[in-house]
Amino acid sequence: MFVYEKRLQYPVKIKNTNPALAKFIISQYGGPDGELGASLRYLSQRYSMPYPELRGLLTDIGTEELGHLEMVASIVQQLTRNMTVEEIKKAGFETYFVDHTAGVYPQFASGTPWTAATIAVKGDVITDLTEDMGAEQKARTTYDNILRLSDDPDVNNVIRFLREREVVHFQRFGEALRLATEKMDQKNVYVINPAFDKK
Amino acid sequence: MDKKRADTQVCDYKSGTLMPCAPLALAYVPMQQSAKPAYDSEDALKRGTLFPGLDLPFMNMVNTADLSDTPLCEVMTLKFVCHELHLYLDTHPKDKEAFETLKAMLKLAREAERRYVEKYGPLMCSDLEYSEEFNWLCDPWPWLYQK
Repeated sequence: MFVYEKRLQYPVKIKNTNPALAKFIISQYGGPDGELGASLRYLSQRYSMPYPELRGLLTDIGTEELGHLEMVASIVQQLTRNMTVEEIKKAGFETYFVDHTAGVYPQFASGTPWTAATIAVKGDVITDLTEDMGAEQKARTTYDNILRLSDDPDVNNVIRFLREREVVHFQRFGEALRLATEKMDQKNVYVINPAFDKK
Repeated sequence: MDKKRADTQVCDYKSGTLMPCAPLALAYVPMQQSAKPAYDSEDALKRGTLFPGLDLPFMNMVNTADLSDTPLCEVMTLKFVCHELHLYLDTHPKDKEAFETLKAMLKLAREAERRYVEKYGPLMCSDLEYSEEFNWLCDPWPWLYQK
């Protein structure tokens, strides 16, 4: 069961309309390393997590990512608020606008729709947690790149918050991998997949 | 396993413990040793983490935004600290001190939420208990720009 909280995790208050920024920030909504993929990755992986003490982390980080999805959508919504056709043309936003007007659609910066092909649920403890560490780093890099491209302080404050969350999540997944592998055969941690094989 | 983890080692808050010997062909991240030191709640929200040891900003640029001008600020900061402590406890469930801190912060967060809800309306459907009328539909919805 999920319950909605009618607030953002961190405030999004963008004063200036700027579709040029929305054009690439949309990638963190539905792009290859975006928040939609992040939430679905962790919330799906938890079903094959055999260690009860690690199901919590996947649930809690997966849920937080849904909150980040809402924050990225808020950035895009505010950057495209009241935009004029002239602003759309000047920003090169026509290709998005013609398909979605000022709607928020999960897609890559390059226009490819969100795809589950960008996430992994392998059903193996070490594989999934290692994937999660990589996923957090990829999201961090994307936020680094957004910070290189954006010159709006109202946007950058939110992006810096979201980027730092990736660093914290990387640490937690790393700790989770430690806790998981400590439960495994220390002579050969790959001797079985504890998510499938019975000891 | 405990004998393999160098738990007695003391590192500064920017570092964590690693075992002296470990199976090959695995990735290792040092365990965070403690939920201390910690930022105060407003700094934690600004920086995106409660923990100075995990605060590693891109090009060392940190947020300067003043967050105190929103009615939700108190709820946001307190609930963020609770969330950070919760994730820490997910991988450090035996840290009793951190758990006591979480419980104290949850109490403060609940009181702040109650104050917000009574003045501005529900944050969750269940807060409608405190409403005079069905005001769930009223603005502001979270994504809308508010001065």
